[in-house]
Amino acid sequence: MNLYAGRILHVDLTKGVIEPVPLRQEWLKKYWGGWGLALRYFWETVSPGVNPLSPDNAIVIMTGPFCATAVPMTSRLCLVSKSPQTGTVFQSNIGGGFGPELKLAGFDGISITGRADKPVFLKIVDDRVTLEDASEMAGMGILETEKMLEHQTGLLGGKTLSIGPAGENLIPFSIVGSESYRQFGRGGSGALFGSKNLKGIICRGTGAIKAADMTKLLDTIAQHKSENLFQEDNLVLHTDGSACLVDITNEMGVHPTKNYTEGLNENSDRLNADAIKEVKLADRACNSCPIACGKFTKTGTTEVEGPEYETLCLGGSNCGIDDLPAVILFNRICDDLGMDTMSCGSVIALAMELGETGRHDFGLRFGNIDGYISVLREIANLSTVRGKDLAMGSKKLAAKYQAQDLSAEVKGMDIPAYEPRANYGMGIAYATSERGACHLRAFTVFSNDPFDLSRQVMDVIEGQNFSTIKWSMGFCDFWATIDLKIIADFLSVGLGEEVTQEELKTAGERIWNLARLFNVQAGFSNVDDVLPKKMMSTKLKKGAYDGNRFSEEDFGGALSEYYRSRLWNEKGVPEEEKLEALGLTRFMVEEKQ
Amino acid sequence: MKKQLFAIPDRCTGCNRCAYICSASHEGVFSPYLSRIQINNFASRGYSVQSICFQCSKASCLEVCPESALYKDDGVVLVQRDKCSGCGECVSACPYGMIEIDNTGGVRKCDLCGGAPLCVEECFTKALVYCEPTADLAKLKGAQLRLRSQQGSPGEKRFRLGKALMDKARSTEEADTAQKN
Repeated sequence: MNLYAGRILHVDLTKGVIEPVPLRQEWLKKYWGGWGLALRYFWETVSPGVNPLSPDNAIVIMTGPFCATAVPMTSRLCLVSKSPQTGTVFQSNIGGGFGPELKLAGFDGISITGRADKPVFLKIVDDRVTLEDASEMAGMGILETEKMLEHQTGLLGGKTLSIGPAGENLIPFSIVGSESYRQFGRGGSGALFGSKNLKGIICRGTGAIKAADMTKLLDTIAQHKSENLFQEDNLVLHTDGSACLVDITNEMGVHPTKNYTEGLNENSDRLNADAIKEVKLADRACNSCPIACGKFTKTGTTEVEGPEYETLCLGGSNCGIDDLPAVILFNRICDDLGMDTMSCGSVIALAMELGETGRHDFGLRFGNIDGYISVLREIANLSTVRGKDLAMGSKKLAAKYQAQDLSAEVKGMDIPAYEPRANYGMGIAYATSERGACHLRAFTVFSNDPFDLSRQVMDVIEGQNFSTIKWSMGFCDFWATIDLKIIADFLSVGLGEEVTQEELKTAGERIWNLARLFNVQAGFSNVDDVLPKKMMSTKLKKGAYDGNRFSEEDFGGALSEYYRSRLWNEKGVPEEEKLEALGLTRFMVEEKQ
Repeated sequence: MKKQLFAIPDRCTGCNRCAYICSASHEGVFSPYLSRIQINNFASRGYSVQSICFQCSKASCLEVCPESALYKDDGVVLVQRDKCSGCGECVSACPYGMIEIDNTGGVRKCDLCGGAPLCVEECFTKALVYCEPTADLAKLKGAQLRLRSQQGSPGEKRFRLGKALMDKARSTEEADTAQKN
């Protein structure tokens, strides 16, 4: 097959059965790979009402058609499952080398179901796939687990996915890590591995990926690289990394600070791209990416790849922490224990505000580094009362302490580092994403008119449909200028058959609607597509939009317009007409409310 | 002076694009495993080391070949495929792990793409350069040449040598894995 490996690995951990199965060809032209194809496999495997942490839930991880090729920035591997953090279907993706290694071992993806009766790891060496005992690795951090996996299998330089104690302890914002500092970061993938007693996967692939016309594909790659990829909007990620956003978002007043009370961190120069450069040792890249946005840093004896923008904000400014070495240490510990720096930073910030306002004292205060660092182990290991409290995540913590006016989450997923009161499009994006508050579905931060609701609704829909196809292809978000024409070009040449922009556009919309249908059948509706009280009722302080809020009325109007534009009914359920157009009628919700 | 290929690990981001392009050009498929250049990634320490063929002036692979299938052309060690029996003597002899048995019964090694190495063209951070030696580059290459490994498979040799270079570049002191906390 061109571009694809042609097989999916099915792993049933309950029965210990491992089975390579040919790829479902009939799904490729509709779902392509990555997010879309994983979602289609996931739909086939589970029912929407499944308990996320039960053996019946499935974890589907999927590469895209360009993974393990020279098409740049395409190593991203998507994970689709039902989230223990949000209860929705969710997609999370990871860069680095695992995706390509898996594909070179001969598998486009893996579908994992069941639950092992003791800790195991999956070992993939091309066609030889086995489940191995991971008892000795129980409780280990990800950095040590990666070494153990390599040592125990003798696979020097083998690529791994693994969890730390947070995943084993089923923390809803735990992650699966790879190459020490890369993660399936959001939605609780670590807990999914943990619930299945799957400590990790190690892979070595020595195969090859074919293209229909290699010479022409290499020419096409060279052309789009020089004409589109290598321009300033993308190259800034090479020079500055994602930290380039620190100055920009502060200037725009969208930089969450002190538990989303302020839109500007006045000390942000301590956490910006220039500050990172001061402690940088090297630029690091994902597989097949020339941009190398990763900034490997060291302060004291602490090394980390990062911190990335989201960590600098949610684990820095939002906790009132302006000390870069402290944020680097926070980052390293979270990576090792296996926790999402975003949700972890956010829940700590919430606990800090509860303390500052005298509502509950967790011994945490804005800017207090000691508590901020020491609580991390308590959360991951559930070893103290406050650790257990924070390990529930922002939504449940807020519910326990009647602090729903202070928390900042949608469907249990913490709001990312772009303040919706200063950019309404991001608010609409957070409310309508399949996995709660997520900035990787639609991104309106650079919009010229952030408060024109109709314009924002259209931008959000267009952004969501495009992101969906981008993630299905495995492209990185940091090829910011990529478009459907370029993607269609790569596919047409690589597959040796014409692929049109129009069919890709439809596929994006199809995948978005299929995710929605899953969530509808899992019990979600318009009443869940909300923004936190804080964003609607409390005025933002400081920054360019000091005093702004996103009123309930404005938000409600925008949401209705969003549904209408998508051809969804007032409950947020896709109309039959839309489903017909997308070829999704067989997934229709039978009992429309 | 003749141009040579130099690897500068301090600039390598570990992206492997060189290996994708090399395999596409030489084998017609994307397969880093079949590439004539190999990247050793040490992600936890944020360091990568390229393994390249040095086109040794006194080449062990060439000297050990019982069939005289390896020869030198203008400083580049090349394989004459019809003479090669695939015995693997050269594979064991190369202390850098840079010649390997391929699945057609012969061996594969770097041919510098006939004088215009594609890996160099592809390398965005200029971690690979093809030029006349400067004092600094000659010194760097000298240090890489001095590290040799005779044990194990080519992959094991490369990994071991890469790790030694990585250890030198990054302090061997283990980074704080936050055990202190």
